[in-house]
Amino acid sequence: MSKQIAILSGKGGAGKTSVTAAIIQTMENVLAVDADVNASNLPILLPHENQSTTAYYGMDIAKVDYNRCTRCGNCLAACQFDAISTDNDGKIIIAGDCEGCSACAFVCRHDAIKMEARKGGDWYVSSTDNGYLVHADLIPGEDNSGKLITKVRSAASALAKEKDIAYIVIDGPPGTSCQAISSITGTDLVLAVVEESLSGLSDYRRLAELVQKFSIPHFVLINKGGFNSEIEKNIVAAAKEFNGTIIGRIPFDHKIPQALQKLQSLADMEDYKDTMAQIVAKMASSMQG
Amino acid sequence: MIITVVSGKGGAGKTTLAASIAQVFSAEFYDLDVDAPNAEYFLQPEFTETAPITQPVPVFSAERCNGCGICTKECRFNALYKILDTVYLSEPLCHGCGLCKLVCPQQAITFQNSDVGHIRSGHSNRTNNTVHVGDLNIGSTRGTYLISEMVKKIDSNKLAVIDGPPGNSCAAVAAIKPADLIVLVVEPTPFGFHDMQQTEQIVQQMGKPYLIIANKALDNNSVDDFFQDKAKSAALTILLDDRYHKANLQGEILSQQFDEIHTGLQQAIGKELK
Repeated sequence: MSKQIAILSGKGGAGKTSVTAAIIQTMENVLAVDADVNASNLPILLPHENQSTTAYYGMDIAKVDYNRCTRCGNCLAACQFDAISTDNDGKIIIAGDCEGCSACAFVCRHDAIKMEARKGGDWYVSSTDNGYLVHADLIPGEDNSGKLITKVRSAASALAKEKDIAYIVIDGPPGTSCQAISSITGTDLVLAVVEESLSGLSDYRRLAELVQKFSIPHFVLINKGGFNSEIEKNIVAAAKEFNGTIIGRIPFDHKIPQALQKLQSLADMEDYKDTMAQIVAKMASSMQG
Repeated sequence: MIITVVSGKGGAGKTTLAASIAQVFSAEFYDLDVDAPNAEYFLQPEFTETAPITQPVPVFSAERCNGCGICTKECRFNALYKILDTVYLSEPLCHGCGLCKLVCPQQAITFQNSDVGHIRSGHSNRTNNTVHVGDLNIGSTRGTYLISEMVKKIDSNKLAVIDGPPGNSCAAVAAIKPADLIVLVVEPTPFGFHDMQQTEQIVQQMGKPYLIIANKALDNNSVDDFFQDKAKSAALTILLDDRYHKANLQGEILSQQFDEIHTGLQQAIGKELK
């Protein structure tokens, strides 16, 4: 079975995607997953060719059959999300706030509300220079409950099994809520990319708490470092507290955003090639046996 | 008047700019990045109040429930499961919709409030106003609900700044919805432009007035090039500067430390204030 590595940070903009792209380019026999489905950036950095597109349906949405509706108002009372209202004529209107619970359809005595499928986005399998990339785009504004992430990850696992791919590397979403959980469940290793800042440290602590709940071992990569040794010391101490191992350090270096502008990753940069190779070697050896 | 700061991409500088805007205009502050709230490191409020945010969740009467399992099959959020003849709730998944109570033939379900997170409030000497921080319970699926509940508490007669969540899902929509003005922060990289344009699409669909601030720009040219054929260009460009980065990472408010940022924001946003 493939070994899975999830790359997360808690804080956005800590460098997850740049690091993920460099890891993908440095590793062999690897499949990439972009689990940040509502701000999907890994495909921008990894040259790829689309192989297949599949529609994703999220929660259903309630729809009124006006031929049957008697405007009795039962649905209004049942909806806990303020998604149902009436217009000036008393006509029942269901808004986009509908969470798809179907309570309105259940209480309707006239069978006038049906739950309908609602498209939430698309997911894709693409080929890259170095294997495959499974990614997705949520339609802007749609619900990102983690369902699409789960979908993308199960497609990736199936593909890895079929093609006998050794590693799945997941570029995770920011935050520490359900999307982060959907990205780390069942993985073998988490790489936390921690920005050397108070915000980076605070969000790392939230992330580490979550990772610990799932008993997944984790490494810490300190990014944008070299400015504040006090904060760095506190990140090292926090890593120790949560049983994380510091795997490497990347300094705050203008050359990195300059390279990103040209769509080059850390693996394309002479200064960081070796660092990335060392990180990949350490992760691979930690997952053996 | 409510100003919401969003970016699509994480780390573009939402919190940095939201804190600066609140400082420049001495506005009330709402940190709605509820699963990674960081504004407090900049605003340094003295928290004096903590209020739980709750939603109703089902409670099962052991006497009445006969383990028929109808509720577990009907729940659209997979929040209920049955082991032997007992029904259990996976609380982080529950949306509090009440369907289980409606479908239960035994009337075995009642609803009771349970925490999804809390709001901490206090005064910041840096903005000379109140700060409210939303903390979602780690691992909860109810971020958008927590945001909506916090939004209800905002008095739109006063000036308030909302630090929004990253991404372009319904959580961002919930933070954009109450706003009278949107500040879109873009990190001028291929990632930043991509994610900002998705947010811009949401903002336009909702018919909200907005302005764009480019942050961490390597130079002015790349920003100008990007906006050349666009409907709207950046109202303010802030360059990637080691001094800003250094101040930022240790929790300084940029507008307080650097006159050019204070003046820049005063002009760019001041124009749009009612």
